[in-house]
Order: sequence, then structure tokens, then C-alpha cells
Amino acid sequence: MIVQTALLVGLVLFSVLAIVLRDLLKAAISLAVASVLLGIVFFRMNAPYAAVFEISVVAGLITVLFILTIALTNKAEEVEESRIVRWVFPLFFLAFIIIDALVMKGLLQKIPALPSAPEVGAFGDVLWKGRTMDLVGQIAVILAGVTAVLALFRKRDKHD
Amino acid sequence: MIDTWYLYLFFSAALVLAGLLCLLTKRNLIRLFIGIMVIGKGLSLLLVATGFARANILLAQALVVTFIVVEVSLVAAALALIINIYRTTKSLDVRKLTRLKG
Amino acid sequence: MIILFVALPLVVAGILPIVGRLSRRVVPDLAANATLLFLLVYALAIGRPLIAGGPALQPLAWFGEAVNLRLALDAFSLLMLVTISLVGLAAGLFSINYMEHYGAKANYYALFLTMIAGMNGLVLSTDLFGVYIFLEVAAIASYALVAYGLEHDELEAAYKYLMLSVVASAFVLTSIAVIFGMTGSLGFAEVAAGLKDLDAGAVVGVAAALFIVGFGLKAALIPFHAWLPDAHPSAPAPISAMLSGLLIKVSGVYALTRIFLNVLGLTPALSAVLMVLGAISVVVAAFLALGQKDIKRMLAYSSISQVGYVILGIGIGTPLGIAGGLFHLFNHALAKGLLFLNSGSIQQATGTRDLDEMGGLGKRMPITSVTTLIGSLSIAGVPPLSGFWSKLIIVIALIQAGHPLLALIAVLASVLTLWYYLVLQRKAFFGKLNERWAAVKEAPFWMTASTVLLGLLCLVFGILFSLAVKSWFQPAADVLAEGVHSVIGTWGY
Repeated sequence: MIVQTALLVGLVLFSVLAIVLRDLLKAAISLAVASVLLGIVFFRMNAPYAAVFEISVVAGLITVLFILTIALTNKAEEVEESRIVRWVFPLFFLAFIIIDALVMKGLLQKIPALPSAPEVGAFGDVLWKGRTMDLVGQIAVILAGVTAVLALFRKRDKHD
Repeated sequence: MIDTWYLYLFFSAALVLAGLLCLLTKRNLIRLFIGIMVIGKGLSLLLVATGFARANILLAQALVVTFIVVEVSLVAAALALIINIYRTTKSLDVRKLTRLKG
Repeated sequence: MIILFVALPLVVAGILPIVGRLSRRVVPDLAANATLLFLLVYALAIGRPLIAGGPALQPLAWFGEAVNLRLALDAFSLLMLVTISLVGLAAGLFSINYMEHYGAKANYYALFLTMIAGMNGLVLSTDLFGVYIFLEVAAIASYALVAYGLEHDELEAAYKYLMLSVVASAFVLTSIAVIFGMTGSLGFAEVAAGLKDLDAGAVVGVAAALFIVGFGLKAALIPFHAWLPDAHPSAPAPISAMLSGLLIKVSGVYALTRIFLNVLGLTPALSAVLMVLGAISVVVAAFLALGQKDIKRMLAYSSISQVGYVILGIGIGTPLGIAGGLFHLFNHALAKGLLFLNSGSIQQATGTRDLDEMGGLGKRMPITSVTTLIGSLSIAGVPPLSGFWSKLIIVIALIQAGHPLLALIAVLASVLTLWYYLVLQRKAFFGKLNERWAAVKEAPFWMTASTVLLGLLCLVFGILFSLAVKSWFQPAADVLAEGVHSVIGTWGY
């Protein structure tokens, strides 16, 4: 439990760092570190497949995409963040953490839940046989993403 | 059971709020999208934790895997859009994007 | 073969970018529009017989393997499928001429068909997470379509749209997780049955509030509307027609209605919230539309206002009110699709969207002028066009349910609607011909053909409204009015 809590604290810490760090490259890397931590949390929660996806795809692929974008746009002048934000962000965040800590437990106890039936079978069965429609959805989403990127990077020749 | 659920949901809520605050306060287009990714982390933690607390971890994993695939597509499309915006305006400042009145 | 509605557009969308290298124009035009036409004919031909004995479910076995491709077709989803295919076909035909100068047609149609597949999948989905994922499919395709022109305005609008839409999806997913935590399942039938056993009013209220924010953002109800007046006008005209005519209704209104009425169950409090949200959208957006100079922005605000009518009608919760709301949804899809397409014809002919610069275009573009008039009058609710009947049904249902004040608001707002549409008509088409447009010609064949098709349908549904309501809209409304009972049992496996 203690290890899990430490991992979660690290996850939130690195996520906040990704938001507040001034250098975008460092921000992207701390986002990747946060993903790796989240992956380990998943692994310890008996969710190895989600963990593998989180680490390989989110920490790997998405970080590469972010770094690529940052490299392609690095000639941009520094975007000036507003001054107030520098103290507004931590202030609000701390205030919310306190409220969260006070309220969350009470809220969750109010949520009634049906008794859960134990699951049978392996992960593969659940994904392939239980949620086949999601796989169709995944294919559709990937197709949408690929065609969207193709459309956005097409040659801008008006006369085709 | 409720104790572990509480722990995970506490952190998940913190992540979602950090992302929302980022969306409200930051001005760099890439930074705003990092905020969206932080929200996404909070949501996937929420899904897995809910499945864990209810002993439905296999189903929750299936959902998270799909969610991550959606996220990848979204990131690809959004970053392509950001690069296009950069090429047009030569800037990543969201304040340069105020020609339309909303 | 209900899966065909999702699979066919996806397969064609996957092939198109490859085929597009061989033939840049003819094959993409032909393939995309043939697909849309096939889907429309297929929905019309198999739909009614298939659902005659209750909702039709996709069979469980697939190539001898037991898989769980859960899809269900009932009267409500059939109505949406037909609407999607119809407006999609009109926009697709319009694109044949209109998208010439944007280039990369194969890619455009691939995105277009992916968006159609996403909407069809959403409409046929039987589980909450399925709703989420197909919502994202349609949304990701639409971001790229809004930005398709790659100019400053398009990119800005697409970025704003993307940001708000992602936040909307996050709200929806949070609510889904809460419901998953309570019932341990995601299927509509299981969730509805579980919530009935559970009796958890307060938590369901929280989930409903999250859904209202999420789907409210998608449907652009006031006060969640900020992205729409930017995104819809910036897109190419056929895409504006798709977004305003279909996407906000499918990913906003359909999902909201299906989940609230059939899964959570419509409580009096929820019903009141929906009606108030609808009434606010109707009135505020109508006033905002009055002040617009840009023809497409005016149409976009009008979309918000009309979606408000739909939500107002469905929110009443009586069979008559829901039927009126659904009929108005269909009429608005036709008429607003038509108006956005015509705004594209005008923009292509004159190069401007500013109403003040137009004038007298009616003499140069007679067909566009007449079809615009039909669309405007239908939306404004002038008899005998179809929009009149749907608004009348909503007003009658409001009075029957004991909300005379809301009925009065609905009537007055429709007068306001008529006013701004007449302003549009007068500034664009009537009056003296502006010298600059002396050389303007009527739009090319496919552009006029698709608008004439939609205009005729507005007329036909206006004249045959009682038949249409009885055979299409009342069955759909009955599915919704039955509440959770229409899902529990019949949708399970």
C-alpha cells in the first residue's frame, strides 16, 4: 500500500511538473515519466495489459510525437505565460487537494453498488469475445486518426 | 475495498483537476495539450481503479486499452493541427488565435 | 447485417486513399456517393421489416466464432440511420462540385465516410463505452474536416472545437466510470436493470449532471455553445451541413436522449432541467442570430436555437412531445443541411459570406434562391412546410403537459426565427442586384441537384406529415417514452 501511494504521489508530481515546467522538452519528458509510473501502478493492480499499453504507447509513442512537434516548432518565440498564473495554479491546486482529501471518502461511501460477480476467463477472451465492438471502434479510430493526419499534411496545391 | 478505491480516486481527481486548471490558465498550444494528456491519465486511472475495486479488472483493462488507442489517434490529429497552426501564424500562442469571435 | 452500416463506410474509407492515387476525382466521387446511396436504400428497405417484431440484434456468432458484436436496431436508431444517410448523401453529392478546389478528394471522402461510420456506430451501439468510442471516431474525423481548408480561420476554429470536444468526452467518460462503478456493467440493458434494483437517486443525479455537461457541449446547448459559431462556419459547406445537420444531433441529442430516457430513466427533475436548457437555447441563440452579418454564422446560431427546440420537445417526456422533438430533429437536419449547402453555393459564386455585400442574387441564382426560401420557411415554421408541423406538435405537447409559459416562449421564438430568416433572404436574394455580381452564375449541376433534393423533401414531409409521423416518428417516440422497459429484457442477450 505504501509503495502504491508513493507511486501515485510521484505520478501527480510529475504530471504537475509537466504543466508548470517552462521548458517544453522537459515537460514532455516528465509527462513520459508520469506515464511510466502510472504503468507500474497498473501492473501492481493486476492489470498487466493496461500497464504494457500505458508504458509502450503513452510513454513511448505519444512522447515521441510530442518531442517531434516540439522540434518542428522550436523556432517559435517563447510564449509568455501570464504572471498571475504562476501563483494561481499552485494555490488552486493545493486548495483542491485539501477539499478532495476531505470530501472524497464521504462521497464514495454514499455510492451504492451492486454485488460484483467474479470474472472468469483470460484477458484475451474478455477483449476479443466480450468487447468485440470495441475492436471495430479501435480500427475506426485509428483510421480516423491516420486520414486526419494525411489530410492535415497534404500538399497545399489548390489546383490539385 | 472502499479504502483502496478512495485512495485511487483521490489521485485521479487530482490529475483531472490539474489538467483542467492547465486548460484554463496556460497559453502555449502544446502546453494546453499536455493538460489534456494529464486529464487522460486521470481518466484511465479512474477506469482501472473502478474495475479493481469492483473485481472487474479484466473488463476495466479492456476499456483502458481502447481508451489509450483513442488517445493516440487524438494526439496525432491534434499535434498535426498544432504544427499547421504554427506554420500559419509562426507562433504557439493561443492569444494569436482570436480572429473568430466565439 | 446491421454491422454493414459501420463496416461498409469504414472499408470504403480505408480503400479510398489507395485508390485515390490512380484516379483523383471520378473514382472517389463515385465510390463515396455509391456507398452513401447504398446505405440509404438499405436502411429504407430492410429497416422497417427488421424491427417489426421488436428491436433487431446483431447475431452473436460470427464466422462460427462466438463473438460479442453488440449492435441493436430499434425504431429510434432506424430513424437516425435514415437521417444520417439522407443528409450524408446530399452533402456527398454537393461535394462532387464543391470540393474540386480544395484538392485531395479521396482523402476528404475517406474522412467523410469515417465520420458517417462513427455516427452509425454510435446510433447502433448498445453499451455506454461503445457510445464513447464512436463519439470519438466521429469527432476526430470532424476536427480534420473543419480544418480542411488549412487557412488561419479554419485552423483556429478546429483547435477550439477540439479542445472543448475533448473536455466534453472527458465528462462523458467520467460519468460512464461512475455508472460502471455502481453496476459493474456497461450494456444499456444491464445498467438499466441494475440501476432499477439499486435505487440510487443522488448518485444517478451526479452521473446525469456529468452527462448533461458532456453531451451539452457536444450538442452546443447554451451555455455550452462557444465553439459552434466558430467551427461550423469555418468548415467547407458540405461539412458545415454535416456538422450542423447531423453531428451535433447524433453525438449530442441522440446520445443524451438514449441514455437519459432508456437507461437512467427520465425523472421529473431531469425533465425540468432538459426543458429549461432547451428553452434557454431557443431564445438566447435566436437573439444572437439576429445580429449576425455573416450568413454562415447566422445559420450556426440558428442551429443552436433549433436544437433547443428538439431538447425542449424531448424533455417533456410524453409520447407526443418526444415525437415532436424527433420530427423537428429530422426537419432541422434536412433544412439546415440545405441552407448550409446553399451558403456554400453563394460563397463559391461570390467569394463572400457577408450578407451586406450580397443583394439581388435571386435573379442570378434562381434555384438557390428558391431552395433557400423553402429551407428558411421550414425552419421558421411556416405552413405547409415540415418545420411547421413539428413545432406545432411541440407546442401542443407543451400545453397538454401543463407548461403554457414554455409554449408561449416556443411560439414567440419561432416568430423571431422567421424574422431573421427573412432578413437573410432579403439581404442575399431580393432587392437590387449588386453590380459586383453581374457575372454570377447558378451553381453547378450536382450542387443544385442536392439542394433541390433536400428542398423537395422539406415540401413532401410537410404535405405528408401525418403519414410520416405515424409510420416513422411515433414508433421511435414510443421506444423512448417506454423508458427503461424498452431496453431491459429486449436488448439483453
